[in-house]
Amino acid sequence: MMNLSRSVALISLFLLPLLSFSFSVDNPTDRRVLVLLDDLSLKSSHSIFFNNLKSRGFDLDFKLADDSKLALQRYGQYLFDGLIIFAPSTERLGGSLDSKSIADFVDSGRDLILSADTSASDLIRGIATECGVDFDEDSSAMVIDHTSFSVSDVDGDHTLIAADDLVKSDVILGKAKIEAPVLFRGVAHSLNPTNNLVFKVLSASPSAYSANPSSKLSSPPQLTGSAISLVSVMQARNNARVVISGSLQLFSDRSGVQKAGSQNQYEKSGNEQFVTELSKWVFHERGHLKAGSLVHHRVGETDEPAIYRIKDDLEFSVEIYEWSGKSWEPYVANDVQVQFYMMSPYVLKTLSADKKGLFHTSFKVPDVYGVFQFKVEYEKLGYTTLSLSKQIPVRPYRHNEYERFIPTAYPYYGACFTTMAGFFVFSFVYLYHK
Amino acid sequence: MVKSTTKDAQDLFHSLRSTYVATPTNLKIIDLYVCFAVFTALIQVAYMALVGSFPFNSFLSGVLSCIGTAVLAVCLRIQVNKENKEFKDLAPERAFADFVLCNLVLHLVIINFLG
Repeated sequence: MMNLSRSVALISLFLLPLLSFSFSVDNPTDRRVLVLLDDLSLKSSHSIFFNNLKSRGFDLDFKLADDSKLALQRYGQYLFDGLIIFAPSTERLGGSLDSKSIADFVDSGRDLILSADTSASDLIRGIATECGVDFDEDSSAMVIDHTSFSVSDVDGDHTLIAADDLVKSDVILGKAKIEAPVLFRGVAHSLNPTNNLVFKVLSASPSAYSANPSSKLSSPPQLTGSAISLVSVMQARNNARVVISGSLQLFSDRSGVQKAGSQNQYEKSGNEQFVTELSKWVFHERGHLKAGSLVHHRVGETDEPAIYRIKDDLEFSVEIYEWSGKSWEPYVANDVQVQFYMMSPYVLKTLSADKKGLFHTSFKVPDVYGVFQFKVEYEKLGYTTLSLSKQIPVRPYRHNEYERFIPTAYPYYGACFTTMAGFFVFSFVYLYHK
Repeated sequence: MVKSTTKDAQDLFHSLRSTYVATPTNLKIIDLYVCFAVFTALIQVAYMALVGSFPFNSFLSGVLSCIGTAVLAVCLRIQVNKENKEFKDLAPERAFADFVLCNLVLHLVIINFLG
């Protein structure tokens, strides 16, 4: 008996570390990341980025993109939480990976960083199109900008551009402002305008265009100006996050940038800060929200009733927490709203937050009966979407809940009683008059 | 022509008035009561025209209590009037007792319908 329990304890001790080997609901930051490279020298040329990831606790697994033993799943379980594809020229991925398996990977809620470069293959373009991002069809085109290029551009064809048109979001790019411009050298992509899940993180300046730098332009370029996105991001409906970049050099170790036409010279480009903050967002170290259940009750009570009556006063509250990378912190915002919804919102109120992550409000049930839902639909740029609802019926007045005396009818009440009094007085007078 | 009609109207009015003064006091008391009841009913109708007929049952109850008691008073007057040959044999106490009982029933129904 003693031996059995001891061995069970030992075995569970060994198994326990395995439980922390993937992201979970309580710990949404990714753990194991597969990095696919088409050239192992990227490990050293992009060492700052990879070392930064390792120092934050990620398990990086470097593999060549056409390694025949590649697998994302084994026996139905995913082996990795995140995928970085720095293999822009790979035509076919090895092992069991292909465009569909990567799409399934994102569908399961896992994150992806995809980078193309000047020689983006059809496979990479296909994966990007699945996420709503369209690379320039011309395979030899690069982004050229004759006013925002970096003066350290050695080729002189203004393809190394210094971009500073970043998305305004503290969640995605961190609270600290990225002062220096970000160096970029690669292909342009545009976003499908009907897709509302994808948005630009780094856009090109209005003077940029996408064309082959070594040949003369024969016709006006298709992609121009701010429609060109250099780095885009997609947050899927299951909260998987995808970063798509047009340049692999963006992630590399690089320093020193001066934008042409500006006096500021920066010793360090904004690249390192940019990709660090972006990777924090992609791998769910930031901007991940969790909501507790919706709580509602009548004013003055604590239990949740099974049914409300019209014109009841009720109080509603929900707890929302934000993952800080290590722990759940209370979320503070002033734009979370609740709807009291039946086919359309009858009541829409903004919840007021206290510092402990409790959002609450109180309102009166409308004068309509039926089956309503409390709905909290929160979609803020860069944060996970919260979509909560709870159903509750509302009944009309019972026959004994109406007001006893109707104020408009007081004259009629008065008239009836006056008539009775008049009859009483009349009978006395009639009988006893002289 | 006109002058004669106005003179006729004035004569009519005067003759009515003089005849009325000669009626017995108890009949005059009944007439006063009827006027009071009809007046109360008219006030209620005017109020309903202003505000609308929302608690219609209360309106009907109020108006019918006044009209009902007026009708019963008119019946009493007919039965008690000595000049009325039809009710010569009816004792005025009996007529008054009928009046009181009918009014009781009327007011019971009215209070029930008042809501």
